[in-house]
Amino acid sequence: MSAHDHSPGGRAASWTYGLAIGLALFSGMAQLPIMKRYYIADLPGMAWAADFFATSDLHYLAAALLLMMLAWRLALDGRLAGLSWSWGPRTWWGWGLLGLLALTGAAKAARNWGLYLPPTTMLVLDLTHLMAAMAFMVTGLVSLVMGRKEPTRAGMAEGL
Amino acid sequence: MPKDISRRGFLKGGVSLAAGVAAGMAAGPLVLPGAAQAASGQELCTVLDLGKCIGCEACVDACRAEWQPTVPDPVKPIPQPFPSRVPIEDWSSRKDVQDRLTPYNFLYVEHLELEGKVSELHIPRRCMHCVNPPCTSLCPFGASRQEKNGVVHIDQDICLGGAKCKTVCPWHIPQRQSGVGLYLNLLPTLAGNGVMFKCHRCLPLVSQGKQPRCIEACPQKVQSIGPRQEQVAKAQALAEQAAAADGRPGQWRDYLYGLEENGGTNTLYVSPVPFAKVNAALHELHIQQASQEAPAKAGQGRGQAAKGGKGLGRRLAQAGRPPMGPVANSMENPENLTLALAIAPVAGLAAGLGRLFGGARKLGRALEARRQDADKGGQS
Repeated sequence: MSAHDHSPGGRAASWTYGLAIGLALFSGMAQLPIMKRYYIADLPGMAWAADFFATSDLHYLAAALLLMMLAWRLALDGRLAGLSWSWGPRTWWGWGLLGLLALTGAAKAARNWGLYLPPTTMLVLDLTHLMAAMAFMVTGLVSLVMGRKEPTRAGMAEGL
Repeated sequence: MPKDISRRGFLKGGVSLAAGVAAGMAAGPLVLPGAAQAASGQELCTVLDLGKCIGCEACVDACRAEWQPTVPDPVKPIPQPFPSRVPIEDWSSRKDVQDRLTPYNFLYVEHLELEGKVSELHIPRRCMHCVNPPCTSLCPFGASRQEKNGVVHIDQDICLGGAKCKTVCPWHIPQRQSGVGLYLNLLPTLAGNGVMFKCHRCLPLVSQGKQPRCIEACPQKVQSIGPRQEQVAKAQALAEQAAAADGRPGQWRDYLYGLEENGGTNTLYVSPVPFAKVNAALHELHIQQASQEAPAKAGQGRGQAAKGGKGLGRRLAQAGRPPMGPVANSMENPENLTLALAIAPVAGLAAGLGRLFGGARKLGRALEARRQDADKGGQS
């Protein structure tokens, strides 16, 4: 029996989370003007990667999906103690980075509704969002390379 | 709700109020020019009454005299970016060019010859200073900035010259100078390619309570600046007069450019002839100019522009001469998707909490049963 069987949402939730994280990271990276420069958009079927508006829309959608999943998880965790999850951050570091990404991203998005943010604040938000995303990506890659242990209730309780 | 009040504009008041409390409005208020000083903190808007413009280019000369010296000369040789297909854009030996936008020329004047009652029209062109500028919203490094008074400008100390701002700008206004700026100190061949430059509506002067140079220098008083609400009303009144004078009373929207383009801008043009006609004439003129310049500028993309075909308008605009056609709100999707971002966590919480009194307990019991089964399996 795999960890997915113990996890609310099962395998579908794990895949959805992985897909949302992957899309958010890729579309976020595509906001840097590198896709055309480094031939990624020249790959068959990848021309859209150089369209900043298309990748921006994708980033919003992936972020919305992530926010929904994480909120759902927090709501369930708050109510039912001892749930084990086969997806999502397993450390406070991971949760912290996701929280930082959500806060800075939300503030940046709020501009679309007329929220005025002073340029220096915007600069701090932009760079914080960028750095947090890079840190999250590096953390994820290290986690993949080092191998990820099956989540356990004891591990969850220890914040691992 | 009037058509020219967008959802964004409607929401802006409430959101700004909340944000003001939350963010504390860290930046100090700017000292605003002229009539706008009384309305400190308001978004400023310019109105250009093209019927008054005689094409003397005093505005261009004043702008160049003030700001060209602030654009640095590049290092030589300019590092060749990797991969080699990334072009070096060097305007430092062509600082005299003033019939288009360049890194050393933030403002130019289009000189149009028309058929009909109005035989010629002169149009000063520069950054439109959008209400929700995609260049600022989509700049990944915070180099493109928007001040509270509506000025959109690029911080040349931070910009890496990736030209994303130019790509996402509907008019492709920002212009790149390679070989200058921060990227030289980072990874000059692998990332960045200079600095983007464009009109900043004389922000340093406006901050001191002075007028932008182009407004100050104009002998015809073509342009005015003031709080957006007042300027919009003024532009509408002028456009109504222009429509009536052209024998098309009530069709004032055809004579006003910038109010609805790209979701709204803080540069409003009023013309004595409809902008559809202006844009058609501009298009023809730009094709002619591209054809003439193509042999001399081969390799800078303008040779392609002269050939026509797919994306001609875009290529012409990329050549530093923006059109004046209709422009849909490029930030419409992000504005709508912001709603999705706001709803998503609420929906997630509701889904989680909605299972509280039935589903959640059932789910907890099911998962516990599975664990017990697994434990038994492991023991046996």
